[in-house]
Amino acid sequence: MTSRFEPFLGLSAELTAFSHFDLLGTGLAETYLATLDKVVGGEITDALLAAFTALPPPESKARIQAVRTTILGNELLGDVARALIKLWYSGTWFELSSAWSERFGPRPANITFVVSPDAYIEGLLWKAIGAHPAGAKGQGFGSWAFPPKIPAFAPALDFQNLT
Amino acid sequence: MDSYSIKTLDELKEFLYRAMQLEHATIPPYLTALYSIKPGANQDATQVLRVIVVEEMLHLTIAANILNAIGGKPDLVRPDFVARYPAALPDGETDFKVGIQAFGREALATFLKIERPAQRPEHLVGKGLIYRKTPPDITALASHPRHEDFHFYSIGEFYSAIAEGIKYLEAEAHGAGTTIFTGDGSRQITSEYYYSGGGELFPVTDLKSALEAIELIIEQGEGDGGGIYEDDDHELAHYYRFEELVKGRYYQKGDQPGQPTGPHLQVDWEGAYPIKENLKVEDIFEGSELREAAIAFNTRYGEFLQLLTRAFNGQPSLLLEAVPMMFEFRNMILELIRNPLPKHPGKNGSPTYQIPGGIKQPAVTRQAEVNA
Repeated sequence: MTSRFEPFLGLSAELTAFSHFDLLGTGLAETYLATLDKVVGGEITDALLAAFTALPPPESKARIQAVRTTILGNELLGDVARALIKLWYSGTWFELSSAWSERFGPRPANITFVVSPDAYIEGLLWKAIGAHPAGAKGQGFGSWAFPPKIPAFAPALDFQNLT
Repeated sequence: MDSYSIKTLDELKEFLYRAMQLEHATIPPYLTALYSIKPGANQDATQVLRVIVVEEMLHLTIAANILNAIGGKPDLVRPDFVARYPAALPDGETDFKVGIQAFGREALATFLKIERPAQRPEHLVGKGLIYRKTPPDITALASHPRHEDFHFYSIGEFYSAIAEGIKYLEAEAHGAGTTIFTGDGSRQITSEYYYSGGGELFPVTDLKSALEAIELIIEQGEGDGGGIYEDDDHELAHYYRFEELVKGRYYQKGDQPGQPTGPHLQVDWEGAYPIKENLKVEDIFEGSELREAAIAFNTRYGEFLQLLTRAFNGQPSLLLEAVPMMFEFRNMILELIRNPLPKHPGKNGSPTYQIPGGIKQPAVTRQAEVNA
């Protein structure tokens, strides 16, 4: 578990542009790794983690290029990585496309589902837009009288290069 | 009247400052325990802690109201305002410290001590304060400004001393044709600025309202004269709420203290993140995101105390801004607590409540002493 957890966290940080601290702060990192295992299976998860581990060193131009070609552009791993991004941001696993299933075989657990009530609440999308999840993490009486706070993000990643 | 009684207005102000310091000091331990509970676990405990922490905030505000009523200036940014944890509380004969820790049996044992009923055991009745030397690096809460090593038996006894002091000084002032309640009424915090905050917030303007305010603090904490329920609204005192968790059973009407007979409740003692007790920023690996986040929280908390100080000094409407800040703390604390502490396997992070500028100063240079 631990030998896979670190690469999973690193991969997730790379894909979501959130820091390890932010990701661990959701309390859901282990649950999401387990979700990945459950939905696409241990082998594909391991292949994804191996692809991440094999990337060129961080902060090199080659790395961003490699993320695109060996992960996001990879036929098998690309859709899985994109589903993982959506999982982190929304707490929902979005069913992989029928094209993917036809190519690599159907997976019984591959249906669209919300991982847990906490997963919805801790979705990174709320943090990214400086809002709180509707119906949860309320900001307190009268808070709407004050201007919203859009958080500044430390890593200045070029999103266009990633997609 | 013994030598520990409050005899000057300045001394009373210092006591009320310490009352605010004391009320505040219970908030970080309760808040941390509350947020250490894992999602979905311990719903009863979550509810109990939430109610109590909100009532402690009310007590802090009430203490500020009393201080304002007698012309004092609440100061939550004085360097020694925020306790260094673990801090010492009035603890009768045995040593007892309150610290920052995760929800669990140990934390509950401490919380019960914080809120325990005020009455002394028979052999200590009328014996005066209890002597124990406080080490210099320990914040002694609810201590006597003139006698740092002499301790009240309980928080209730500390407040009784304040109530007696108010009565004495007001009678003295009354004799001279004046009053100690000379504070500006516009500095009082009332429910208008304090939404749903754990009880009624009324202005303190005279002896009667001041004593009522103290009574409310004591009743919510430890119950009225050893009773389980507060008189007016059948609300369970903090001590007995915590006891329900320890005993796994709710109290109901007619129960005797220590023997709840209501419905059973579930406590999951493993249902909390394993935070490192009384963590300090210095213990967190330098350069880690966790350390930065702990410092960021402390900075923000310092800003919060500045805001409260301004609110308590004539700008009560600023309290409305404090509300979203407190919700911000919840999110910041949750993130700290869910992150593993680097180089401490099995332990998680925690807020440290080391507020910038918050260094303990020698306790002797108090205004009360200077003026004495």
